[in-house]
Amino acid sequence: MKTFEEKWTAWLDDQLSGPELSEFEASLPDKAAAQAEKAEAKKLGELLKRELSAHPLKNEEFFSHQLRERIVHENGEQGRERARRARASGWWTIPRLLWAGTGSLAVFLICTILVMHRERPAEESQYLTQILNARVDPVVSPNASVSIFEVKQDRATVLWTEGLQSLPADYAAK
Amino acid sequence: MQTEATLPQSDVSELDLVKRCQAGDTEAFDELVTRYRTRVFGMIYNMVHSEQDAWDLAQESFLKAWKSIGRFRGQSSFYTWIYRIVMNVTIDWLRKKKIKGGDAEFDDAIQLREIDPASKTVPKTEALPHQAMERDEIRARIEQAIGQLSPEHRAVILMKEIDDMQYHEIAEALGCSIGTVMSRLFYARKKLQNLLRDVYENV
Repeated sequence: MKTFEEKWTAWLDDQLSGPELSEFEASLPDKAAAQAEKAEAKKLGELLKRELSAHPLKNEEFFSHQLRERIVHENGEQGRERARRARASGWWTIPRLLWAGTGSLAVFLICTILVMHRERPAEESQYLTQILNARVDPVVSPNASVSIFEVKQDRATVLWTEGLQSLPADYAAK
Repeated sequence: MQTEATLPQSDVSELDLVKRCQAGDTEAFDELVTRYRTRVFGMIYNMVHSEQDAWDLAQESFLKAWKSIGRFRGQSSFYTWIYRIVMNVTIDWLRKKKIKGGDAEFDDAIQLREIDPASKTVPKTEALPHQAMERDEIRARIEQAIGQLSPEHRAVILMKEIDDMQYHEIAEALGCSIGTVMSRLFYARKKLQNLLRDVYENV
């Protein structure tokens, strides 16, 4: 739905036609006054066109020259700005950060596996097993006691025996 | 919407120039500037009434156009597109100027002082001195009247009356609806009719 202002403007500019035109003209309370105002608007338009449309641009070539210079300068500035941004962002772009993260994780996992593999407890010696499994004869050695001290970081085990008169012959260390 | 294939020859050529500009060809842009510099300058001059300011604003507008030419999609004519930039730059400048200087911009004394009676603002014809003075006076009256309109109203009336632009083209250039354009035209005409009635009745 057009407002009165819109219809009036369209009517002044001869943009109304058909039923819209007749409907609008019928709605005007004073058609003669409206026609006079339309004629005035036309005169105003002609006056503006005549007086304002011919304002030349002096030194046209200098205008273009100055603009070219500014564009060249601007392009140079933009190039420098791009280079500065590239330097500022450096190596740490997002894809590179992802790759760096993945690589670091892989190295960490490999190191962890290696360390865990190295720190796996050594198998107990055959002799220790034999001694621990030995039954000390209470008749031969009534006060015998066997103690074991293990120092894992040094990978050493100390077997401490007290009151043992003798080791059974079949458990003697070979 | 028009497609490239259906555009008239001159528009195809303009599109070609735009495409070259988008590829960074400054010579193509120079060609576009040559085509529109006079119209752009004239329009800005009628908005700001100062040759130096109009020159600077025209330069600024074309520079902005160069920077944003990559975003031109060809949905409107290049002329309408650049007019939008011109209007944004000019209206923005007028608003800032008004904020800085209050309403002094439209002061009669300043308006008359800015206009050199001997300046060749009208195409030089072999007019008699008194005729030339009369024309300068008329022109000063018109500029003074236009100076009393808001930047948006100035833009609309100048685009319609001087450049014969269609409502939809003006709307596109100003980024508003056609209804707004028509409404602004209504008020701008009314105001100018009141201010310039004696001028156009006696000329």
